[in-house]
Amino acid sequence: MNSLTQVPAWLRRAAPIALVAAMAASSVVWAQYQKAPPDFGGSYSFPTPTHPEPKADWMHVVDVAALVTALSAGAWLVLRRRTRGGVLALSVVSLAYFGFYRQGCICPIGAIQNVTAGLVDPRYTISLGVLAFFFLPLVFALLFGRVFCGGVCALGAVQDLVLVRPVTVPEKLDRILRWGPYLYLGIAVLFAGWGLHVTLGGWQIDVGRRFLICAWDPFVSLFRISGAFHMLAIGGVFIVGGMFVGRPYCRWLCPYGGLLALASRVAWKNVSITPNKETDCGLCAGACPFGAIERLRAHRGRCVSCARCYESCPFEIERRGGPSAEVQFARLVKP
Amino acid sequence: MSERSSRRQFFDRAGRLFGFVTLGGAAGLLATRASANAVYQVDPSKCTSCDLCRTSCVLSHSAVKAVNDFDKCGYCMLCPAYMDVMSMPDEKGVPTGLICPQDALKRRVVGTVDPDDPNNNYYEYTIDEERCDGCGKCVKACLPPAGNGSLRLEIRYDRCVECNECAIQVVCPDIAIVRLDVPGIPPPADHSVVHE
Repeated sequence: MNSLTQVPAWLRRAAPIALVAAMAASSVVWAQYQKAPPDFGGSYSFPTPTHPEPKADWMHVVDVAALVTALSAGAWLVLRRRTRGGVLALSVVSLAYFGFYRQGCICPIGAIQNVTAGLVDPRYTISLGVLAFFFLPLVFALLFGRVFCGGVCALGAVQDLVLVRPVTVPEKLDRILRWGPYLYLGIAVLFAGWGLHVTLGGWQIDVGRRFLICAWDPFVSLFRISGAFHMLAIGGVFIVGGMFVGRPYCRWLCPYGGLLALASRVAWKNVSITPNKETDCGLCAGACPFGAIERLRAHRGRCVSCARCYESCPFEIERRGGPSAEVQFARLVKP
Repeated sequence: MSERSSRRQFFDRAGRLFGFVTLGGAAGLLATRASANAVYQVDPSKCTSCDLCRTSCVLSHSAVKAVNDFDKCGYCMLCPAYMDVMSMPDEKGVPTGLICPQDALKRRVVGTVDPDDPNNNYYEYTIDEERCDGCGKCVKACLPPAGNGSLRLEIRYDRCVECNECAIQVVCPDIAIVRLDVPGIPPPADHSVVHE
């Protein structure tokens, strides 16, 4: 104690500073600690580590161009050509490219989350391709209805292709389940933008920003032919269920389908079942596996533009060069 | 045209207009924040080689691989990332155990070779990416002061499928998976901070 007081005041004050400085100096030495590259004595040249380039920009352009082409083709096939075969072929091509080749990623359904995160958080970097994938199908839906669902969406195509024996879902149940997409959309937007931070009594939920739609996508594990067990299980349930119930994901869960349905309700042109007051046979309503024909007209929001109704319509068959509608009706009436 | 259908048309047009304006506005706002080519990458200054890159990538064989920076590598004979220095030595005093569980870290002797004493030789270390699963054991072992810190984990863009949400980023405890506007490698690790 006595000896400490003899140390000059400036030195006592400087001691901690000197200590910190010494530590900093030693850490600088630490940072520079490196054995020098040796001289090998031979004709050795140092290799440079390879860094693979990310996907070239033109690959993103190809994706967007493929989307625009598919959407345009879908609109033309559904609204102009009115052909189920064409839409089916388009959906097979889309499934091959967007599903199996691009492995279900890039997709407008998931893009909802990027767009949400981009709107909520200015620091979030959204990629231009994802932006195009989110907005283009919506623009097409405002113009031509849900042509994206019918022939372009890989998830829709999977369900459409496995649909072998559609059963009619009771109207009451369907009416409740149809709220599913909007509920899912709300939850997905909440998690993509903010996460969930709730304290309820002793319980505390603290989940950061998550992209739930991607994490629970039922078909992405099929496209990648790999995935966690729960993903494969969900995919299996939807595939098996989809054999008997038309497009269960599209109708009752898909949040992007919900957005497209809103846009499609005010679309410039939709799938239209030609009115025929004398006949109104209802064959189209029987052919629609998605319960989208109400009072013998295609429901503007729920119709996914699959063109099955045209395929069943005697007048459409006649228009395309088949037997006349009267002959067809006569055949139907006969046992 | 009946009054009812013209009213309906009006609502359709109004709705459509509203839709286009909303979409256009949102797209315009987001376009200012968008980047043509955003990628995920590992920031080596934050990475602690925790092994989650190996287990969490959606690919069955992780897109994260160890990369050796040759200009930092010491070409050591007794590479702590290559061989387990705690394992049993052979008759020449060279440890017999290897660090890499996948046998993905390969080495070949370079320069003038001393056939009698391996300790006089230099070795070039490369990673066999077909085998490497991104566990980061070598990266951890190469950290100073034992090694030069020339190894690091890197997301290989030719393998990464650029998920909407990087499954590794979600679980990464050190926020070492970063989103880069400009593709590239974050600056090399600052080894003044020694990770555990």
